[in-house]
Amino acid sequence: MSKATLDGKAIPLEDACREAARILGGATFPVIAGLGADVAGARAAILLAEQLRGAFDHLASREILADLDVMRSFSMFTTTPNEARVRADVLLFVGPGLSALWPGMLERLAPGQPPRHGSQAGHPRRVFWIGPEANEAANIPASVISASLDELPDILAMLRARVGGRPVAGDNARRAELDELASVLKNAHFGVVVWSASSGIDPLAIEMLQAMVADLNVTTRCTGVPIGARAGAAGVTQTAGWMTGFPPRTGFGRGYPEHDPWRFEAKRLVESGEADAALWISAYDGEAPPWSNNRLPLITLSPAGKEPGRGLYIEVGAPGVTHDAVEFAQEIGALALRKSHAPTGAPSVAQIIDAIATELRGEVSC
Amino acid sequence: MLTVLRGGHVVDPTTGRDAIGDVWFRDGRIVAPPPGGKADKDIDVSGHVVMAGAIDIHSHIAGGNVNTARLLLPELHRAIRARLAGTPLSTAKWSTWETGRLYAQMGFTTVVEPAMAPHASLQTHLELNDVPIIDKGALTVLGNDDFLLRMLRKGEAASAINDYVALTVGKTRSLGLKCINPGGCEAFKENMRAFGLDDEVPFYGLTSRQIFQALQKSTQAVGIPHPLHLHMNNLGIGGNIDTALDTIDAAQGLPLHLAHVQFYAYGKEGKNAFSSAGARFAEKINANPHVSVDVGQVMFSDTVTISSDVLKQFNSLPGAIPKKGAIFDGDANGGGVVPYAYKISNFYNAIQWAAGLELFLLINNPEQVYFTTDHPNGGPFTTYPDLFALLMSADLRAKVMSRLPAEALEHTTLPSITREYTLYEIAQMSRSGAAKLFGFTDRGQLAPGAIADIAVYRPGKDIAGMFRRAAFVFKDGDLVVRDGAVTHYKRGRTLNLCPRYDSNITTRLDAYYDELYGLPRSIFDLPDAALPHNDAFAEVACRK
Repeated sequence: MSKATLDGKAIPLEDACREAARILGGATFPVIAGLGADVAGARAAILLAEQLRGAFDHLASREILADLDVMRSFSMFTTTPNEARVRADVLLFVGPGLSALWPGMLERLAPGQPPRHGSQAGHPRRVFWIGPEANEAANIPASVISASLDELPDILAMLRARVGGRPVAGDNARRAELDELASVLKNAHFGVVVWSASSGIDPLAIEMLQAMVADLNVTTRCTGVPIGARAGAAGVTQTAGWMTGFPPRTGFGRGYPEHDPWRFEAKRLVESGEADAALWISAYDGEAPPWSNNRLPLITLSPAGKEPGRGLYIEVGAPGVTHDAVEFAQEIGALALRKSHAPTGAPSVAQIIDAIATELRGEVSC
Repeated sequence: MLTVLRGGHVVDPTTGRDAIGDVWFRDGRIVAPPPGGKADKDIDVSGHVVMAGAIDIHSHIAGGNVNTARLLLPELHRAIRARLAGTPLSTAKWSTWETGRLYAQMGFTTVVEPAMAPHASLQTHLELNDVPIIDKGALTVLGNDDFLLRMLRKGEAASAINDYVALTVGKTRSLGLKCINPGGCEAFKENMRAFGLDDEVPFYGLTSRQIFQALQKSTQAVGIPHPLHLHMNNLGIGGNIDTALDTIDAAQGLPLHLAHVQFYAYGKEGKNAFSSAGARFAEKINANPHVSVDVGQVMFSDTVTISSDVLKQFNSLPGAIPKKGAIFDGDANGGGVVPYAYKISNFYNAIQWAAGLELFLLINNPEQVYFTTDHPNGGPFTTYPDLFALLMSADLRAKVMSRLPAEALEHTTLPSITREYTLYEIAQMSRSGAAKLFGFTDRGQLAPGAIADIAVYRPGKDIAGMFRRAAFVFKDGDLVVRDGAVTHYKRGRTLNLCPRYDSNITTRLDAYYDELYGLPRSIFDLPDAALPHNDAFAEVACRK
């Protein structure tokens, strides 16, 4: 049985859905934000945003767009984690905290095991890590090039320059480290770089990394494995892509989708007053909204125990935990069904939004 | 409900009709005119052309690579107008929703997505599921996958390969097999930058020829109605006509479908070492009735190339317009997305345009050649009406030719061709032939018992306009398009085969995934629970 509250007081679920429909249907420009949901939840949310002529944004859009902006303004070379596992003869990890952002990373990429396919099958991999957190690389056979997050852009620029045989400034020890790595990458048969925009790495540093990958591909093979952002970000982005042509930060004010990363940022829409109601979805972990406006009519969909004190709250289940859910599976680099392993009967985001949309159909012409 | 479309020019090659007459249907099926029957709905379509709904056999409308293209090129698909009531997202350009609307408006009711990667089939099906109105299908890509290449290297029995093919087609719920640069994508991972029919895949010791022949045989043995759908080696390269002709010789008389052959119809004549070999190619097709082709016609436009031929796409990257792209080494094929602009003033693009039309006009049997643009690779599917107009009018072709670079016309036989397609031939290519090619027995035709997918066009001077905006379109007997506009959505189905196989292959594959990836094979599955509708599929029978 799902729980719903209005300003902290329990109300029946049906009343909550009706109230949500009233708030959203009465708004001039509602924003559907957070969007921490599985594919079905994202699909329902985007259809609702379209029906309402509102906008949608994801709580990790900054990270989503960091990678996407590199692709759509430069280019992107990628592979699947499993192809990296079976073929990479060189693995280069870039940035801190990757093993926390993707807890299964080392098991999946198996840096300590030799590749299985291709000319280097059976030969030990070379493994490098630029700027890991302290001890993060301790349990794998990696050569560590220590660097703070702030230093990463410069180090990647220097590395790319050395791959291209261009001179760089800096102390001899650092140059020697980077020269060795540059040489290993140039001699690799199938090098793979691993990064995550969620590590805090600057988007221009991601572009520098991908530009180096492109340079390497002139003579040999090299590619990348990006680690997707939190709260279902990669699956939501794919869903938004086929439904609207665009990633999150897309609005329907004119009756068709327009994508603008500045204009349709939920925080800005709320704080500027352009949005006059919000549906905040954070089914994975009950993250709180990032904005400071406390007067905005707010509907929150999040798991049990993450109830905000204010506004309308409807409890939802956790995707892939309390109910079956399709989401982006980092370990295969594709969408997959996650079977629930702790079912509670709490409704999914899609079920709640469908209920709200059904209520709305009487009020909004669509 | 019983409906009659009265007094139209009925063009239905399956039944041989090409005359004024009536078409009757009850609910979702065509019926014979009931004796003394009175229709619940009597629609006067005199002055109109009545055909079955069209079938597109090769159009990249769904899946990870298509979605990458959407996300790569926001500037190429800005929406410009609000949608009509009852059709959410139908004006969101390049969305699955718009795809369904635009196809329906042109009188298309079935479309096949030709490149589904087995390890990403769930996304392809989720996207297909969000294409409204029309029915869909997909082809599964094999030929660069380690499991198959290992089997072939070991010289395993055909029965084992057949089981693997049957299982993969069944599990990914597709209409058959496509093979894309067989072995070439694997070779690219090993840093080969070119890969021909008889080049060896490193470490497997197999050639493209051997790989596609094995899959061609398996396709027949498993009873998959559609012949192996082959994307050959050396796409887009001057002189690649030799690859194409050699590939046809390698087909050994077995059924084979060659995809987007325009991209292989190039000789090496002239100072640019690039000329049309469309006439030679067509002659070869005419002499090999077991080979079918779709053209992949180039239509001058800004577009994007999307292909699982990663090697080719990587080689195309320096010529990208605008200058960007995405190169993805997948578990097997992967994909490359490279934007491009075909210009009428460009010598090479002009040769491509002419070569495609030569193929259409010089291949004698319209049920052997299909009208694709390899959407979006040669141009978007929305240019089909313009393509049909070019096929039906030598005058129109002459007008376009007058704008091509003069030197391009020296390297094509197109100016000498006077053939004009008839409506009947258009229907053979887009209806009856397309249905046969996939083993569809109840679509692409207007015989009693067939699905009531019907397109009604209003002929006029503007041939393209006639095909762009159908006067009426019925999907399963439901009127979904009126005067060129979709009136409402309905849910189409995804067509799939359920071939039989020995369950030993399941055990073997489970062990393979476990040993190599340390993952249960089921993570790549396509369970009903993953899809929004449990009636999303409709089975097409395998050949006995």
